[in-house]
Amino acid sequence: MENDSHGMMWVFAGLNLIFLCCAGGLFFFLIFESYPIFKLHGFDFWLGQDWWVGETYGALPMLYGSTLVTALACLLVLPVSLAVAIFTSEFLTSTSRRCVKAVLELLAGVPGIVYGLLGVSFLSLWIKDVFGLLDGNTLATAGCLLAIMILPTVLTLSEDAMRAVPAEYRDNALGLGLSKWQTATAVVLPQALPGIMGAVLLGISRAMGETIAVMLVVGSLDRIPDPWFNIFSSAQTIPSKLGREAAESIGEGTHWSALMALGLTLFIIVLLINFIGNRFLKRRSIS
Amino acid sequence: MNSATFEKGMVFFLPILTLLVSSLLLIILATVFTKGMPALHSGFLIEASEDFGRAGGIFYQLMGTLILMTGAVLISLPVALGSVIYQTQYLKSETGKEICRQSAQVLNATPTILFGLVGYLFFGVYLETGVSWVTGSLILAVMILPTLQVSIREAIEALPDQYKDTGMALGLSPWSQIKKIIIPQCYYGIITGVFLGLARAAGETAAIMFAATTFSGIRLPESFSDPVPTLQTHMLVLTQEAANPEALSQAWGAGLVLLSLVFFLTVIAWVLRSRLKMEAEL
Repeated sequence: MENDSHGMMWVFAGLNLIFLCCAGGLFFFLIFESYPIFKLHGFDFWLGQDWWVGETYGALPMLYGSTLVTALACLLVLPVSLAVAIFTSEFLTSTSRRCVKAVLELLAGVPGIVYGLLGVSFLSLWIKDVFGLLDGNTLATAGCLLAIMILPTVLTLSEDAMRAVPAEYRDNALGLGLSKWQTATAVVLPQALPGIMGAVLLGISRAMGETIAVMLVVGSLDRIPDPWFNIFSSAQTIPSKLGREAAESIGEGTHWSALMALGLTLFIIVLLINFIGNRFLKRRSIS
Repeated sequence: MNSATFEKGMVFFLPILTLLVSSLLLIILATVFTKGMPALHSGFLIEASEDFGRAGGIFYQLMGTLILMTGAVLISLPVALGSVIYQTQYLKSETGKEICRQSAQVLNATPTILFGLVGYLFFGVYLETGVSWVTGSLILAVMILPTLQVSIREAIEALPDQYKDTGMALGLSPWSQIKKIIIPQCYYGIITGVFLGLARAAGETAAIMFAATTFSGIRLPESFSDPVPTLQTHMLVLTQEAANPEALSQAWGAGLVLLSLVFFLTVIAWVLRSRLKMEAEL
């Protein structure tokens, strides 16, 4: 009996090791596979502006595209999610609150490809018509689509953060004669700020890694827009580049290594943002 | 504008905004429904696609999606269950637990396309599974691992302490406790995780588009090394033909089926989860 128990422990430990290897192996493989391109180009890989397969590989346009699209999504999503989070957490009854949360959870589960289809059929056409562009596949289109995609994540986490502010704070504020609105904005909101920061950072890390939907509407052009703030031009993000080109050279050659280096870059950025975001969320729950 | 008017304005404006955000789900559902309905004919679910996906049904694509997600959960479940049991029942060191927690976060945060690329390289090239449904299932299995782990962990951590104390007082070994107490009591958590994992795997495109799928040609896989067509990649190919109304209409039809599948699985997971909560409150 006792031996049996001991044997099972090793089975569970082995399964846990498999899980740890999945996470560690991912990182190891990305570094290992992208090593040749860093040997070839060094850190210029991140600064180069040209990407000609077989000649030169520069990641700057993709890095820039990813950053701009994410920033745009973030700018669009922040005011909306803040407003809705305040209302849901402070004004709604618990039944309606639960309904909103359920809707958000379903929204978060909508497959990226469905968003992509919606983007291609509606959003990109609208943007083309409204701004009188030749091509509706732009950074702005991708940014708007991403904003809709990360809205449920950011919103539900922000709402949790506001909900987690102790009830005594509210009671005290209301007892002092503050209105419900003043309580929400002057008492609850500042307390929930770290949590909301965390929510936004987690949303950003999701937006950075989204592939399919962005790939379909961003236009896939490997250049930095001219002028640099022109969000109505086609560009490329890191995941969309990977999605477009990985099939051409899978597993071998410098091209593959360059793509893996892009992947490594994305991985590190996303993990960093995610780590900081989780730190913020955790700080709330401890205090 | 003084602050009182501003306040009144906001209190009036916020419900509208909230309603709007909540109706986003309805808008998406209604759009997919109205656009997808024309493509749905009586045999849509049981016919093969014809003319490069522009006509016919989506039977093999649907089967492909079902095969990949089922395979993923079958591979992922033992690993998730075993690792969570190890972390909660055996692992004592705080550092070890922290490493496991961080690794789960890494897996959860990783952009899915990276699973596709690295997974194809590791499973497809080094383990020689090639472009096949096996590779796809393995990749998706790694991807949904954190989803399953979270559900199982929640269920295990929600177990009342008395259960464990009673088990120890009866002199049960850790393995007997797991067999007799933890797994039977956390049954619902495990099933919830399974359905959330299935939903997540069903909605994923980027991770499998290089490693597991084909657009036309192959139907049901006949061996371990055959790729399968899937709903997601079928939609992706058709969407890129946006100028062709027939292709787009078929894409909406496939989208409607995919969305229904994902929502159906999520709602089942909810029902099970609420049952879990009720049991915990007893």
